[in-house]
Amino acid sequence: MTRIPPGTALAILLLVGAAPPSDAKPRDAAHAITSQLICPCSCGEVLSGCTCETGKTMQGYVENAIKQGKGKDQIVGALVARYGEVIRGAPKPEGFNLVVWIAPFAATLAGFAIAFLVLRRWVKRRAALPSSLGTLAADRGGLSPGRTLEADLDGLRARAEAELRRMRE
Amino acid sequence: MSELGRLALLLGFICSVFAVGSIAWGLRTGYSGPLRSGRRAVWTVCGLALLAVILLERALLARDMSYRYVAEHTSKDLPLHYAFTSLWAGQEGSLLLWLLILSAYGSAFLFAYRKRLDPFYDAVAMVIAAVMIFFTGLLTFVSSPFRILATPPPDGMGLNPLLQDPGMMIHPPVLYTGYVGFVVPFAFAMAVLLLNRSGTRWIEEVRRWTLFCWGFLGVGILLGARWAYIELGWGGYWGWDPVENASLMPWLVGTGFLHSVMIEQRRGMLKTWNIALIALTFELSIFGTFLTRSGVLTSVHSFAESDIGPWFLSFILISGTAATALILYRKALLESENRMEAMISREGSFLFNNVLFVALTFATFLGTTFPVVSEAVTGTKISVSAPFFNRVNVPIALALLLLTGAGPVLSWKRATASVLKRNFILPMFMGTVAAVVALPFGADGVYTLVCIFGAAFVVTTIVMEFARGIQARRSGETAALPAQVVHLVKKNKRRYGGYIVHTGIVVLFVGVLGSSVFQKEAHAPLKTGDALRIGPYTLTLRGVTERQKQNATLTTAILGVERGSKFVGTEHASKALYSKSQQPMTEVALHSTPAEDLYMILGGVNEDGSASIQAYINPLVSLVWGGGLIMVLGTLIALSDRMRIRREERAGL
Repeated sequence: MTRIPPGTALAILLLVGAAPPSDAKPRDAAHAITSQLICPCSCGEVLSGCTCETGKTMQGYVENAIKQGKGKDQIVGALVARYGEVIRGAPKPEGFNLVVWIAPFAATLAGFAIAFLVLRRWVKRRAALPSSLGTLAADRGGLSPGRTLEADLDGLRARAEAELRRMRE
Repeated sequence: MSELGRLALLLGFICSVFAVGSIAWGLRTGYSGPLRSGRRAVWTVCGLALLAVILLERALLARDMSYRYVAEHTSKDLPLHYAFTSLWAGQEGSLLLWLLILSAYGSAFLFAYRKRLDPFYDAVAMVIAAVMIFFTGLLTFVSSPFRILATPPPDGMGLNPLLQDPGMMIHPPVLYTGYVGFVVPFAFAMAVLLLNRSGTRWIEEVRRWTLFCWGFLGVGILLGARWAYIELGWGGYWGWDPVENASLMPWLVGTGFLHSVMIEQRRGMLKTWNIALIALTFELSIFGTFLTRSGVLTSVHSFAESDIGPWFLSFILISGTAATALILYRKALLESENRMEAMISREGSFLFNNVLFVALTFATFLGTTFPVVSEAVTGTKISVSAPFFNRVNVPIALALLLLTGAGPVLSWKRATASVLKRNFILPMFMGTVAAVVALPFGADGVYTLVCIFGAAFVVTTIVMEFARGIQARRSGETAALPAQVVHLVKKNKRRYGGYIVHTGIVVLFVGVLGSSVFQKEAHAPLKTGDALRIGPYTLTLRGVTERQKQNATLTTAILGVERGSKFVGTEHASKALYSKSQQPMTEVALHSTPAEDLYMILGGVNEDGSASIQAYINPLVSLVWGGGLIMVLGTLIALSDRMRIRREERAGL
């Protein structure tokens, strides 16, 4: 049976999660639209929670447009035509904007791939270590020779410091 | 007095330059005299920074309008405590606070290691002093808080109303303590590379310093979220605002480091990676200041914008390039001493956890800076805000939540099939049960279910770890369970402190889930006697009053709140119009219970006399703050673990 490495499993999870959130249940149709827009004044708030005058006017506009039977695309399109792309809370995934949508997931997957390859190489190298080194490591309480040397260095430094302190006193 | 302040900063700059030069000379020649002089110079900078702060505070409290900084950020009607906190209301004052904290870290570092004669610690102090050159230089030559106006105005422009909140008295200093503190781990890392030092003792010291400032940064972020919740009046606490993101990024990378450093300590691996993470954390903390102060991006938290951005950018580029060059130059020093034994091991899970932390940081960085990049490339202005981050960052964060549970129950070196079975079956089962139980309560989205599964999974693994620990120590013990838990934590504070932090993270995730997915909102114009219903609550407008505060006019809607048929209290939702700025500010009315917050806002008073009332029910929001407190507790416990160092020192002797 083929085993799925943990990195791949997480990558699959990320890809599943990358789909638009189905649990982002709008409290009403107006909220579904205003929660995706930015207030066009300088406050920079998401429109659904904006309390400035411009924000309130815009919220009213969206509610009225819905009452008039306009659809989400129609309302957002009209607002974008008036205020520009800056009114969208998330850039439309097209053209250069695709970079910001794709790069985080591409980087995550690349990171997993690199981590996986590095791990595999380390595990293989470990397996290829001469048995004598393994024995030596075991003799030194499970530590590798390098690790022991490091510990020795630290110990020597601490000892030198203590002796210097004593001399000063 | 302004001359004295300027002189203090100039001397601070000179002392910083002297400290770097003197220590570098001492390190090169081996003479102890220059090293001692360099250390004293670092102490002196701290004293001079403190003097400068005292002088500026004196001017702020006296409302001495001849100081440009005082005239720009205070007014005569500003309450005294806000005049005091105006120190960090503007760019120059904030930079001065930075310098004070930075030099205090330098001095605290020298004090902590005063008995160590190893020149390595002088090299660390030299790197800290090099950073001090930048800040003292900025304050002396570019952005002095002691500039004097030729004609002082009769009154100042007043303090930004958003900053007139008790939360703002504590949030910036705590946040800065976290931000600035990352200079110490960075200095350690650079000193290791500069002196070509091997050994692992320094890494434990770095871990403790990192944990300290990581804790402060975390608390600072939470205080900022709490401030946004209370002061901004939009019903939430985290809006993926550029400045919020700027503080989150070093915290995320720092968290990654705190995990991967364990691999270096135990297995002598990931040395290059760890040093790179330390350097990145420091650079991101400087980048955070750059974002806040440069005015490159609009933010609700940005109160001081100017043209010092290029200076910060240059510093980031220079220090980043120097760190990268040193890492490459000392590549041989950073060779791993061991190799992995198996892919499925705690080391392996920490590696993937690091990938996720860095990926989350990258996503946040890209989203935060993309509007500027996109405009430069396409010429079109765009926004990258909460709707983007909720789609991109949330799945990565959920993957991290799952790893939070998986990592600690995997064995070091190699996790066998029996270990996996023993450690994972029950958490998986509990996670599934929790997700299924949550389904009828409206939790039917992918994110929601993964979050609930993950929360139950992590909590179960933590409980199992505690249970195993207690069982292992139980032989002959008859103490009550809480006493045994306390005993267990005391025996290995670092490990169990970490688990407590993980518990806090889970609680925080549940709080975020509850308050975002299950939030309810209602709004209506109300006349006196009218009622607004939201969930089980009924809000009845009792009346609208207007009164004068010290520096603002306060319009207040008095609301009677009933839950079902039970009267639960009278709440006051206000709008304050500040006299200086003529800026209307929301003052939220909050009815908090452990289960939910009823959050009420007065939008304004309409022409027909009705009051626009907006209300939210934010379920489980108390868990966001509670989770933060649990994380603080865990951090304190982990920080108090000194036994390991003592043991190591004894072994060394």
